[in-house]
Amino acid sequence: MARTISRRDFLRGVAGLSAATAVTAVAGIPAANAETEPELVERVTTELPIPEAAAPAKTEYECDVLVIGGGFAGLNAAAAVADQGSRVVMIDKGHPGYSGLSPWPSSHRWADKDMGDDYDALRSCIRHGSEYLGNMDLYEVWLEESKGTYERLKGWGILDQYETAAESGYYNQSGDPTDCSGDYQGYHEKFIQHDRRTKFTAVLKEKGIEYADYTMITNVIVENNKVCGAVGFHVPSGTIITCHAKAVVMAMGGGCYKPTGFPTGGVTFDGEYIAYNLGLPIAGKEFDDFHMTLSWAPGNAFLNNNWTYLDPLWLCGGDITPETAVSYATTKGKVMVLDRVTKSMSGLARSDGTAVEDMSKQDVTRRGGSSSENPEEVRFGKRNDTMYKGDIYGAAVGFGAHLSNGVFCGLDDLEGRTSIEGLWVSGDGMQACGPTGAAYPTGVGFTSNYVSTMGNRAGRAAAEYAASAVLTPVSSDRIAEETEKIQAPLNVEKGFDPTWARDQLQNIMSPYWVYIAKNETTLKSALTQVEYLRDRVVPKLQAADYHDVRMCLEMQHKVLNAELRLRASLAREETRGLHFRTDFPYRDDENFLCYITLTKNADGGIDIDKVPVKDEWKGDLSEDYKTRYTYYFPKELETLGLPAEEETGGWGGKK
Amino acid sequence: MSVARYDLNKCIGCKSCITVCPMDVFRFDEKARKSVIAYPENCQSCGQCFVNCLGRSLTIVNDMYGYAQTSYRAATTVAMNRTAQKVIDR
Repeated sequence: MARTISRRDFLRGVAGLSAATAVTAVAGIPAANAETEPELVERVTTELPIPEAAAPAKTEYECDVLVIGGGFAGLNAAAAVADQGSRVVMIDKGHPGYSGLSPWPSSHRWADKDMGDDYDALRSCIRHGSEYLGNMDLYEVWLEESKGTYERLKGWGILDQYETAAESGYYNQSGDPTDCSGDYQGYHEKFIQHDRRTKFTAVLKEKGIEYADYTMITNVIVENNKVCGAVGFHVPSGTIITCHAKAVVMAMGGGCYKPTGFPTGGVTFDGEYIAYNLGLPIAGKEFDDFHMTLSWAPGNAFLNNNWTYLDPLWLCGGDITPETAVSYATTKGKVMVLDRVTKSMSGLARSDGTAVEDMSKQDVTRRGGSSSENPEEVRFGKRNDTMYKGDIYGAAVGFGAHLSNGVFCGLDDLEGRTSIEGLWVSGDGMQACGPTGAAYPTGVGFTSNYVSTMGNRAGRAAAEYAASAVLTPVSSDRIAEETEKIQAPLNVEKGFDPTWARDQLQNIMSPYWVYIAKNETTLKSALTQVEYLRDRVVPKLQAADYHDVRMCLEMQHKVLNAELRLRASLAREETRGLHFRTDFPYRDDENFLCYITLTKNADGGIDIDKVPVKDEWKGDLSEDYKTRYTYYFPKELETLGLPAEEETGGWGGKK
Repeated sequence: MSVARYDLNKCIGCKSCITVCPMDVFRFDEKARKSVIAYPENCQSCGQCFVNCLGRSLTIVNDMYGYAQTSYRAATTVAMNRTAQKVIDR
């Protein structure tokens, strides 16, 4: 690495930062090599045969608290347990810091009275923008604890600030904002000491937290409604791994059906599948998020997210004030919800470049700054780059709305405690009914802070519980049972490739009439298709090795998620936030100020229930419709007999 | 798929790609001390391996990207086509 850096620095010193140099030195292939270092040996581009992977040295763990998942929620949970002096083990399907969604935040937001935040304005914004489904009690927790979370993460080095790519000169120098090029590796190497993903394991090591990576937990073992631990397998070698634990925190993330342009492929509803089959209610499934990608490279997550990954986390806040609270939420609704709906239904003009968002012109703030576009103001984060980012939607079909979907823990829960003794859920896609409700009105950067806050709370609660709990180890019978389930796809003689099944599911779920502008006919039609996959394909998914086994099990989880999503969407016969029904194109406060929960019943079927939100979260019900709701879906006002508005919506300047 | 081998000679056996890959794409040949792109069909093109490759043995190619399931037509301004081509050509 030292050699490489010095070569880069040498190049920079000699050639300066001329456009030509920077553009030829861009990533993919280190083109500079060819100019400066003649290739002595011909390149080898073929791969060695796939080798057998060694089994891990340790296959059985015992602890007070097992944390499943090594993202922001899991890290904060594990650290909280260790800080209380309890024994904690973390198990991650990938490697802590690099798996799931945690490598990809662009920003970090917290509430700060000392910096002038008006908490009443923040409350008003979230109540309005979550369309009255936001959990205001959890929001109070966040207001109270988010600054501490920020300071904790800062102390761990995760929020280090350093030169952005644009400031450093590693970003493209062509002056063309559609030029996605740059010296990605050079930039990463230059600031490698600040790479926040490396800090995750550094924290674990510093606190003496044992962790197992590349290990997929396939079930949490519960006897007599009490946690015993979990079973899974080391994916490269297929070795069965068992962890006996007094308490378990599931911080396993959400998921999508197939990653295209947004790198969410590592999370596949593993936790949701386990929790559902343990009989826990699942909520928030009808609210679909669907991230953006580039129309000219829609499947390329790297082009879409490279600087997000490499730049420092952009510290933000201070943009929601008493004057802007409602308009802020309205704008979020127009941009994040309505724009997706209208564009998905109408399509774009063939050469419509105006939909592309120029990030340098986006209305942004940094912590302590304002939302002005004053060039004198210093800003941190990717928005320094002029790179366009995403002009179309549909990058992560299956992705739930941030923080509103997962396991429903009851209206009074403030820590992710489930009805199973010793079992907590935490983080995005695991703990339902967060403050964001039907949409995400909070501004960027909320998720990484909120899930860290909630991870800390779950960890503290689990450690406290474990201190007086008795360990009931996982029985050998249960280990044998789980082993058989894990190995089942290896024994399917004639069956289906999980990659093929994944593409079928993606095709069923991704049309806009199923995923974005839904109605009863389209949802039922998709449900029939998903039931076919569930009954005829999932039992016959076939694996040649343990990599395939992972794929087969993940497919099983995705198919369940699709079924829950469709059933929840059918049950919510109204439109609200990230759930749009063309056959019920209006908000129905009388019947749907509630969460929809889906629970596995004794017959293996799904019970669907409505849980009304607390009255104090509902806002002022006496307000007229157009005061309560400030942006409108197609045909909404017409159906309600209200005067029409001018067309609203418009990511990319058309607001 | 989008991770590809630029030059296996440049692999220094650091295992970074194996550590950072969330999609289980890589394996490691202990004898040869080289990484193996074992399951490229599951690559999500996030590029974590590429930026973390200490020997610069890996590259990102555009030829087998999956395409977003979307009803939108691609934006096709001249500038965008040029950029896409620039990246692909690399």
